Amino acid sequence: MEAASHAEHHHGPPLANVSSRVEAQFLGMLLFIISEVMLFGAFFTAYFFIRVVADSGWFPVNDVDLPRAIAGVNTAILISSSFTMHWALEGARNENRNALRVGLLTTALLGLTFLTIQINEYVHLGFAPHDHAQGTIFYGLTGLHGAHVFVGLTLLTFATVRAFRGHFTAKEHRGVEVPGIYWHFVDVMWIVVYSTVYIL
Amino acid sequence: MLNPLRSEQEAFRFLLYVFVVAAVVVGIVLAVRALT
Repeated sequence: MEAASHAEHHHGPPLANVSSRVEAQFLGMLLFIISEVMLFGAFFTAYFFIRVVADSGWFPVNDVDLPRAIAGVNTAILISSSFTMHWALEGARNENRNALRVGLLTTALLGLTFLTIQINEYVHLGFAPHDHAQGTIFYGLTGLHGAHVFVGLTLLTFATVRAFRGHFTAKEHRGVEVPGIYWHFVDVMWIVVYSTVYIL
Repeated sequence: MLNPLRSEQEAFRFLLYVFVVAAVVVGIVLAVRALT
């Protein structure tokens, strides 16, 4: 009976079967983030191997130290961007379009500032990835994270442009929520990277 | 149970938890290093 009703109202190929209770967009992001955690895990394995197993020592190496204070300011910038991201989504939920737009734009600008400071840090560090194992894993871990910030910025740019074009409502805002989850994941990873690489 | 992949709200809360836990762990490690 139901199939007959469906055939009556639906044209074209039959609708795809959805077996999961999780929405496709969230399931995709969930699987993606799980794979990302494994990728970062591989880099952290290399880091701990150099530092703990091989006992090669950590910075300062050859009298060159890491700019901990600058990276600390950068950490504050990135964590602030998670607050503005959360603010933007609350704006979408409450039909506050200004909060949504300003929140997304501020998040993207803070992310861009983070990336600019990191590139400037690379320029002035005083060592290259091929100089020593510590340098290799430093650039590897922070560069991997930087690449993720870039991806997050790309997603945020799409969401921001859509927000300014009038997209997203209190009921339909997955285009902000899914990049938001990704952005918070990128921030969580940075907290771990900053704590282990710069402070400890 | 907190699932940071279910919604942005939970992801944001998870971020705050991670921040606090990281600050506590770093604080303990630095304190132990200073005392030994």
